Amino acid sequence: METAVFRLDGVTKRYGDLLALDQVTLDVGVNEYVSFLGPSGSGKTTLLRVIAGFEAPDTGRVFFEGRDITHLPAHERGIGFVFQNFALFPHLTVRQNVGFGLAFGKNPLPAAEVDRRSAEMIAMVGLAGMEDRGVDQISGGQRQRVALARTLAMQPKLVLLDEPLGALDANLRGRMRNELRAIRERLGVTFLHVTGSENEALAMGDRVVVLDRGRIIQSGTSDEIYDTPASPDVAHYLNRFNLFDGTLADGQFRGQFGTVAVPGARRAARDVYAVGYDRMRVLPLSSSADGPKLKATFVASEYLGSSIMNFFEVDGGGVVEMEHHLSLGAPETYAPKQDYLLTWNPEHAIVFGREAR
Amino acid sequence: MESRVLKPILGVYVAAFLLFLYGPFVVLTIISFQQGPEGGPQFPIIEWSTYWYKHIFGLTPPSRIAPLPVGEALFRSLVLAFMTMVTSTVLGVMAAQAFRKRFKGASFVFYLIVLGMMVPGVLTGLGTSLLANNIIGIERHWYTTAFATHVAYTFPFAFLVMLAILNRFDASVEEAAWSLGVSPWMTFRKITFPLIFPGVLSAMLFAFTLSLDEFPRTLFASGRDQTLPLAIYGTFSVEIHPNIFAFGVLTTLFSFALLSVYGILMALSVRRAKKMAMQEDIV
Amino acid sequence: MSDATASVPRKDNTTRWLLLPGIIWMALFLVTPILMIVYVSFWTQTTFNISSDPTLASWKQFFSSDTYIGSLWTTIRIWLIVLATTFIVGYPTALFVGLLVKSKTLSTVLLVICVIPFWTSFLIRVLAWRPMLGKEGAINIILLKVGIIQQPIEVLLFTELSVIIGMTQIYCVFMVGPIAFMLARIDRNIIEAARDLGAGFGRIFWKIIFPLSLPGVVVGAIFVSVMVLGEFATSGALSGRKVNLLGNIIVTQVGSLKWAMASVVGVILTVVMGIVIAGFLRIVDLKREL
Repeated sequence: METAVFRLDGVTKRYGDLLALDQVTLDVGVNEYVSFLGPSGSGKTTLLRVIAGFEAPDTGRVFFEGRDITHLPAHERGIGFVFQNFALFPHLTVRQNVGFGLAFGKNPLPAAEVDRRSAEMIAMVGLAGMEDRGVDQISGGQRQRVALARTLAMQPKLVLLDEPLGALDANLRGRMRNELRAIRERLGVTFLHVTGSENEALAMGDRVVVLDRGRIIQSGTSDEIYDTPASPDVAHYLNRFNLFDGTLADGQFRGQFGTVAVPGARRAARDVYAVGYDRMRVLPLSSSADGPKLKATFVASEYLGSSIMNFFEVDGGGVVEMEHHLSLGAPETYAPKQDYLLTWNPEHAIVFGREAR
Repeated sequence: MESRVLKPILGVYVAAFLLFLYGPFVVLTIISFQQGPEGGPQFPIIEWSTYWYKHIFGLTPPSRIAPLPVGEALFRSLVLAFMTMVTSTVLGVMAAQAFRKRFKGASFVFYLIVLGMMVPGVLTGLGTSLLANNIIGIERHWYTTAFATHVAYTFPFAFLVMLAILNRFDASVEEAAWSLGVSPWMTFRKITFPLIFPGVLSAMLFAFTLSLDEFPRTLFASGRDQTLPLAIYGTFSVEIHPNIFAFGVLTTLFSFALLSVYGILMALSVRRAKKMAMQEDIV
Repeated sequence: MSDATASVPRKDNTTRWLLLPGIIWMALFLVTPILMIVYVSFWTQTTFNISSDPTLASWKQFFSSDTYIGSLWTTIRIWLIVLATTFIVGYPTALFVGLLVKSKTLSTVLLVICVIPFWTSFLIRVLAWRPMLGKEGAINIILLKVGIIQQPIEVLLFTELSVIIGMTQIYCVFMVGPIAFMLARIDRNIIEAARDLGAGFGRIFWKIIFPLSLPGVVVGAIFVSVMVLGEFATSGALSGRKVNLLGNIIVTQVGSLKWAMASVVGVILTVVMGIVIAGFLRIVDLKREL
């Protein structure tokens, strides 16, 4: 790729018997925001540590700005890293933390210049007036901003974020997400963001890369990933689909909801029928309808800001979720312990199977 | 736990233990105030006096009892302890830092270092003097051969203290510094070292006190000029007088002074970071 | 930097350079001296001189002398007795300090109190036992006053007993520390759980507390053994030359310039030490207990 600022080429990393990264190849363009999504142990953090130079890959190459940096020590790479626990320097003030790289890095700046630049960065992340506080004297969200300001002060072309929002509460997380996006638009930095939260990955990334057991199992835009998950595993990690087991045969899927014609299916190691939470429809038990039908008992509902999530328990066991976007009108209310009929338009389903082309 | 019965019994036991531990020191303090110069190092106390304290500093009229030869010995011991402290702490920090990474032969190196605190001083002292006398053919001095054996003894202690500290050290702050383009050496100076400094102080304290009181190694390896423990040992063979006890009380007080300095330094290094933080703590 | 140089793995020598000074120091000033002792033990000794002609004379002399063999047995006997006394004196104290005292501050204070005597010079601490144990010493005075005895006890000083008492006092803290440390690490919930199941203190102690404190006992035993086996000052000062440990033999031999004989005794002492430490290390992996 011509515009690639950064490239991984067949990177493999083992810890004893554990294969943390397995032949990972990836190109990232200038000013791109890439989210890495995957369960814990999928190799996300290892990937970032290899890119940062904290770990050396066993095989494979890492390229950055046209150079092979596979064996370059971390401090010569010019790649920023924001840690999950922020890793602020506990014996230094906010100002000293932010100015640390400027003062003691490869090209140390004069003290006045360090102060000016760090004050600028501190102001940018909205911490003006807190310069002389110790880092144990500020809140979690403020610490996160110090970590970010400290990294951005060095004006790196590539910043790695290792679940930096994980340690914050939901409210703060949302605000920090917006700030990160704004910063990126202002400074033109390429971000690689590891996250365990599918919402964060889909919301933040221009591109989402799904990792599992050290391999990239899908890579694409948020919409691509969401609309066409490449495998049952991806659909599972996205946490936006009800997944049903069953058998796919002769263009028909037989599951607990009956037998449904399948217009097209994706090839996968097992037969899985996936329906988005927001594609589910709830009907009274008495209604008769064609297509897939699932008798289920309403359990509870939960508000998620812009939508409401309804939980149903299926007769054969298992929970089915139904999401109602509030923008589509007021939500219906369902009676607890009452049985309903769940259905959906089969065209909206995504089907995986061994039989698929 | 039947602590209602057990705890008081053990409490009494511990009290008896402390009496046993402190008994000699109490007796030593009492006898140090024995009348002089006729009063000996035993009971009963003929008359309370500070004669023997004055005797140490040469403030008493000359008598048949020679003053303790401690002046120069004390100086030598302090210098030796200081040299040992600096050397073994530097070696200890370096070795413990190396042990943060896994490497081949780690177990061997670990036991090689720890061996230094396990081999009796008589043996290292004897061996070193044999080496100096019969193979290399150099004269033994407190600042050469004795110094070498002292460090071989205190380095393991400094190493173990630093190992325990670094085991609990969160390496991500170092990685953070590297990712800011700061070299590993600068990172060590500006980040790692300030954060492990309390541990370094403890290692220094260990090394200094062990060296100051070191005796069997010095006995063989130090040659003509005596260190303080050697000067005291010299009085074993001749008659002992209460002046040695008075001196014991004084050195103990000196040790307490040293311990206080350590305590103050420790408190300061903890508070220094805090103080910075408190300055603008308005909100 | 060009691609070619950057893509070659840099050999990281940091570990080596960090370890090298320490390893060299220990090799030169610890290992070599011990090897030197072994070497010199085979040298030829004349009255005031020594030459490197190999001979077994000193070794033969050691094993044919009752004094030398006797001092080997004395050393082992005193070592075993002091090991036992420091354990008996130290374990209950450690149990109290490490486990029974609930307040962390009090436990720390008690440990500091135990360590304070170390701020007095070792040799002066040894000497202080003389006015303590003597015929007119503090113990006899107190016992006479209380009326427990009518005649002062004379066997207290300048006997094997005084050496054992002195060593016990000086070294028992090395037993208390490691044991208290291990006891303090025991999860109190385990003990609570055992008590809920109806186990009495005796049972809890033998089944839970003692096994968990064993590494501390072993570390303490290593400390005490190392120091007692290499002793000569305490026995010299408190036994009136009646108790001769291997260490005392070395000192007197060196004093009369009998380097070869001193070396033979040194080798014997090294072997005893080696067996003892290796034995203890079989029970506990020192590196893991840190």
